[in-house]
Amino acid sequence: MRKGWTHNIALRENKCREMYQMNNSNGSKYDKLFYPFLFEGGKVDVKEVLRQVQQSTIQKCQEVIAIRKATMENNSQLIISTGIAMAAAFSKGATLFAFGNGGSTSDAQDIVVDLFNPLYHNWKQLPAVALTNDVSVITAVGNDVGFENVFARQIIALGRKEDIALGISTSGNSKNVIAALKQAKKQDMLTVSIAGYDGGEMARSEFVDFCLITPSDYVPRLQEAQATVYHTVLHVVQAVIANPDLY
Amino acid sequence: MMITHVDKPQRKLQEIVAQRFDKSVSVPEIFFVSEAAKISQVCWAMAKRFHQGGRILAFGNGACATDAHHVAVEFVHPVIVGKRALPALALTNDSATLTAYRVHGKNAESEFREQLKILARPVDMALGFSPDGKCENVLEAMKEARGRGLLTLGFAGKGGGVLANAGLDFCFTVPDDDPFVIQETHETLYHVLWELVHVFFEHEGLLE
Repeated sequence: MRKGWTHNIALRENKCREMYQMNNSNGSKYDKLFYPFLFEGGKVDVKEVLRQVQQSTIQKCQEVIAIRKATMENNSQLIISTGIAMAAAFSKGATLFAFGNGGSTSDAQDIVVDLFNPLYHNWKQLPAVALTNDVSVITAVGNDVGFENVFARQIIALGRKEDIALGISTSGNSKNVIAALKQAKKQDMLTVSIAGYDGGEMARSEFVDFCLITPSDYVPRLQEAQATVYHTVLHVVQAVIANPDLY
Repeated sequence: MMITHVDKPQRKLQEIVAQRFDKSVSVPEIFFVSEAAKISQVCWAMAKRFHQGGRILAFGNGACATDAHHVAVEFVHPVIVGKRALPALALTNDSATLTAYRVHGKNAESEFREQLKILARPVDMALGFSPDGKCENVLEAMKEARGRGLLTLGFAGKGGGVLANAGLDFCFTVPDDDPFVIQETHETLYHVLWELVHVFFEHEGLLE
């Protein structure tokens, strides 16, 4: 059993390596843009490689800046409306449940710790739970009824109608995130989502009250812009809670 | 009259949003332009470590613990199809291990150092986050890592605190006091390190 499993992993790794080499020899648009020296052949000059890496670094920084600017232009009003709705829910006793996969899990947990233990001294501590913390729950639900249900099951168990569900998905299409938002709306909760690309299914679903989109199709950069989006939402939430006259 | 009444609070919230985004746009530009050369050196140093079988061991407190997780998933399960999986572990995941240091009279502030003592190999890389550069447990772990020959990478902000002067191989200090923009800039930084470390795998002669 174990040998077979290891063998499969090794096969997948080899496949990855093949694809990697193939990608590079073919030269994807992305690779050619950022790593032109990979396709020039000949001997390697370390100074030249370092110089290209520096250039690429600055270019990547400029990309995230552009995405943040576009996000601000497209979404500032929606960010304000989202923050106001969340502040209203918190003032009525809401608990926020945050969830996402992979890097979006880190973001979900980041939002929770920013609410629970705010980094700004005048911010109010607010109740929030990340649905990715309990590995026993995640693996039990995933194993028994499928990974699609790992968050929805917890919403069923924990969510009350005054609560907030906050789902993050870079594609806007993560099945388990969508299932949980749908379930949360069934329970009359406030549903907020953060997505990249064009917002995917999350942007088009009636069970999502607010969908905040960082318009990019490159995950690392759009994820960095998403951090700015939810940090800004938290600023609005705290401003409104501190001064309810603001809405 | 009514419109003025509604507009004023809206304007206040719009200002808050604009200020937040302004910071998240201006600080990274300053940081990456001034640190680009160092970043390229770190990518090279990390590529050499990976080439020798080294792993990233990442750690930090509070919000930074989520960055440690993020680093692990970035390297282990790349978002770009075809990029090879690279070994990285967050020392912030295991609630049993972390809380174990609270019992048996052990020093609870040394949870990262103690994990490094058991897990770390000299060829590994220690990546410690501390937004003000003063987190005791991060500083202790970095000292341990240095003593064991790991490549030591510090991610700080707010002037760098003690971490910036702790004799690390590389320490990055985001030039701002705001914890959110420090974290956002760190995120771009570890994404960029992940993206560009792969460049050096293409030149095996540079990895020896």
